Amino acid sequence: MAPAEAATTVHAEPAISVRNLRMGYGTKVLLDQASFDVQREEIVVILGGSGCGKSSLMKNIIGLYPPMAGDVLIAGDSIVSASPADKAHIQRKLGIMYQSGALFGSLTVLENVRFPLDEFTDIGPSQKDLAARLLLRTVEMGYAESLMPGELSGGMLKRAGIARAMALGCDILLLDEPSAGMDPITAANLDRTILRLRENLGFTFVVVTHELSSIFTIADRAVMLDPVSRRIIAEGKPSELRDQSKDPRVRQFFNREPDALPNAGTKRT
Amino acid sequence: MMDDSTKTGDVSFALEGRLTASNIGPVWAEAAQTLERNPDRRVVVDASRLDYVDNTGIALLFDLKRRRRPKGAEIEIQGLAPNLATLVPDDDPEDLSGAAPQAPSVGLFEQIGRATEQQITYVRRMLAFLSDCGAALLLATRRRGVVRWSETLIVATEAGANAVPIVLLIGFLMGVIIAFEIGLVARQFGAVIFVVDGVGVAMLRELGPLMTAIVFAGRTGAAFAAQIGTQKVNEEINAILTFGLDPIHFLVLPRLLAAVLVVPLLTVFADVVGLFGGALVLVSFDIGFVQFYNHLLGAVGMNDLLVGLLKAAVFGFAIAAIGCERGLSTGAGATSVGLSATSAVVTSIVWVVVLDGLFTVLLSG
Repeated sequence: MAPAEAATTVHAEPAISVRNLRMGYGTKVLLDQASFDVQREEIVVILGGSGCGKSSLMKNIIGLYPPMAGDVLIAGDSIVSASPADKAHIQRKLGIMYQSGALFGSLTVLENVRFPLDEFTDIGPSQKDLAARLLLRTVEMGYAESLMPGELSGGMLKRAGIARAMALGCDILLLDEPSAGMDPITAANLDRTILRLRENLGFTFVVVTHELSSIFTIADRAVMLDPVSRRIIAEGKPSELRDQSKDPRVRQFFNREPDALPNAGTKRT
Repeated sequence: MMDDSTKTGDVSFALEGRLTASNIGPVWAEAAQTLERNPDRRVVVDASRLDYVDNTGIALLFDLKRRRRPKGAEIEIQGLAPNLATLVPDDDPEDLSGAAPQAPSVGLFEQIGRATEQQITYVRRMLAFLSDCGAALLLATRRRGVVRWSETLIVATEAGANAVPIVLLIGFLMGVIIAFEIGLVARQFGAVIFVVDGVGVAMLRELGPLMTAIVFAGRTGAAFAAQIGTQKVNEEINAILTFGLDPIHFLVLPRLLAAVLVVPLLTVFADVVGLFGGALVLVSFDIGFVQFYNHLLGAVGMNDLLVGLLKAAVFGFAIAAIGCERGLSTGAGATSVGLSATSAVVTSIVWVVVLDGLFTVLLSG
């Protein structure tokens, strides 16, 4: 088979390491001095209010946008300073689901999931179909395999996008708001799938989300961004952040409390 | 590595190490061949040294597990680690085998029927759309505030003012080309002075409006279809409808008006530079600018200019209407926006030429 690959690969370095990252658009800084590691077999969620740069952070991690400063290491290799060829090689280690699913509009759902297998493997055609169908079944999309992306709802697009992200067997998966727009049962099933993949295959997940129930179910660790201070304001186990954080912004987020009203505290006369 | 070893009539092979998408192709092919070569013998798969599989590895294990084989020739997977075993589905739903379902093939007659129906539907929809546009225009003349003039101005700037350079370039080149082509023939007959007639009539009545319309169709007709098509895909059209507004008033009317105003203006530019280009070429045929000008005044009249401008206005209306209609009838997804834009350009150019022919027949009689 592949004798070069050791029976048990020991990963000393973290799957993803973000070091002193500063990112933004033009001259506008969205996030500064961001440092955190994602260890192998860990599920880390990136969270924060709308517009705080969660999706942008993910795009910096996967090398789509160059950061303004700092570095991102994928399994020990810098994706920021890599040459274009090396960067493509590093990016192929990552399975990525974009917020909208980003399926190719001219291919059916099955063809979309099979696409990475077609491009990068020498597996036989009927076997690729079987592998793609099993993946679609994992995300409960088996019934939609011959539909075009234009015929799918938002939640279905996301699920097919997850199946495509997993197709090449990358063991580091980055999911941008996977459960937004899904019904609660499908979202819970997706959480279970994520946990099973981690438990049985040792997958690493970085999930951008603000679905609290999903965060408490799957996350080992949460990294919380703040749009005002443009820093990571909290990092830790979600339940501990909820119950023990000294930062009121963090507690407010995890307890789903509304902002104080501007006139709160003034008694009506 | 796989090895066929035959003891006690069983066939056995082993799956070892890490099975991932990058290395599973040959293993899977070999496994399938082994099974096919031994249809009536028991197959034992030793998976005890299998460390890791990805999704394709799971698919391979599932493929081995689901195969229906006669009694005594079953496939037995031995020693599969429990964490991997839980990932392999148990059941064998029929829908996982075989090729992806293809759309049923359509016979010739059905194709003709469908195409005809499609064209009839299109003509009907276009007529309904035109009558809606007509009604909107009628309402606009009667009631103030129906037309969104600010939007009209923005569209006119983009479709008109920004198109001036390309229209100037193409108009000038058309003048140069026809003057040169006719000039070469006319010189053989010593009738070079009549090239002025040719250039004048051709530019003012035909080429000015036609070339402007073709540029406008490619530049603006496609843009209208793509803009409105994207708005349709993003449900902006639905938002307009549920506000109780009419997309025709809101989106189509400003574009129609802008096109009807702007295409004749662009045609004037094309006419002027076309004549100038012709005059420039005729200098090399020994006809000076003054001679050209004097002869031109006798060769063409106000009538020719006005016919050209009328044509231009009608072309502009047709292109804008077709572009907007294509946009509004866009389906779902990025592909259909592209189809709408393409269809808008093709349909517009066909209709511009057809209308041009009608004008020629009607106005020559």
